[in-house]
Amino acid sequence: MTDEQQVEQYLSSLRAHLGAMPPTEREEILREIQAHIRDSAEEPGSSLAVVLARLGPADELAVEYQDGLLIRQASRSFSPLSLMRATFRIATRGVLGTLAFVCGFLGYLIGFGVVLTAILKPILPERTGLWTNGSAEHLRYLAGTVYPTPQPPMHEILGWRYIPIALTIGALLLVLTTLAIRFFLRISRRERGGPHLSSPRNQQPQTGKATA
Amino acid sequence: MALDTKPTGDTPDRWEAQLRKGAVEMAALASLWGGKLYGLEIIRFLESQSSLALAEGTIYPILNRLKAEGLLTSEWVEAEAGHPRKYYSLTPSGSQRLRLMAEAWNNFSRGLDRLLEPVLEKQGILP
Repeated sequence: MTDEQQVEQYLSSLRAHLGAMPPTEREEILREIQAHIRDSAEEPGSSLAVVLARLGPADELAVEYQDGLLIRQASRSFSPLSLMRATFRIATRGVLGTLAFVCGFLGYLIGFGVVLTAILKPILPERTGLWTNGSAEHLRYLAGTVYPTPQPPMHEILGWRYIPIALTIGALLLVLTTLAIRFFLRISRRERGGPHLSSPRNQQPQTGKATA
Repeated sequence: MALDTKPTGDTPDRWEAQLRKGAVEMAALASLWGGKLYGLEIIRFLESQSSLALAEGTIYPILNRLKAEGLLTSEWVEAEAGHPRKYYSLTPSGSQRLRLMAEAWNNFSRGLDRLLEPVLEKQGILP
């Protein structure tokens, strides 16, 4: 394999591993790495093999870029999808990450579920609501969209108020889950960022602004 | 110091690697204090000024992140080498951050130096 082919292979491997990144950012990274390879291979006493070895495997380089990007984007974002994707990436690395992923997943699932029942209330009014048997000894509640319609002594107690109440509870769950995940991502980024060792002032709002 | 034992296994090496890695972000910012540089110049500068020899692949993602955080800006400059190079420079908030880091680092390392002085003296490393 000629030097040129080797460089080509390295760059296309890097491109493939950077896949999820916005194309403009990806191409800029590739241009920069390409320039690095050219410049350092031209240094006296250097060789392409050494240059590529010092850069490290393309997939590992891509991971370092992507971790930064994904977590950075997500900790600023409110999109459940990108939050869960970033959390999933961390989840593959440890117990705490896995726990955060599971909590986030459940939080979103239940939150969306509750909102969905509010939407279903006008469509299935008889089967959506909050029921209770009103019993003093064995108090039971049943909420959501259910099948079959609960029979007496269970009776519905909210009526149309179910919709605003379910919407509020669902939205609250979604917001809390989002905030919790963002908080988790920020913490994990700080830990992984490493250099924060150098500055106790990082805890101050000033630097928080720079990363926000 | 009755519990003092020989360094075991690879722990000091790993610790040193962590320490280096932790300092890279600050070092990368510091290398740009004198003006704009491109990636390879930053790497060579760090090698020559400090003993911060690092896997070259690690510096580029760090530069990328510092740029995304608004601490650095970059521009492509056509070089006589025939291909453009991506030059980085500090933004005002990058300079400010670096000043704070330098101050904190200074306090931190002076304190540790004082603490470690007797250790090094005993081994005759210090005059």
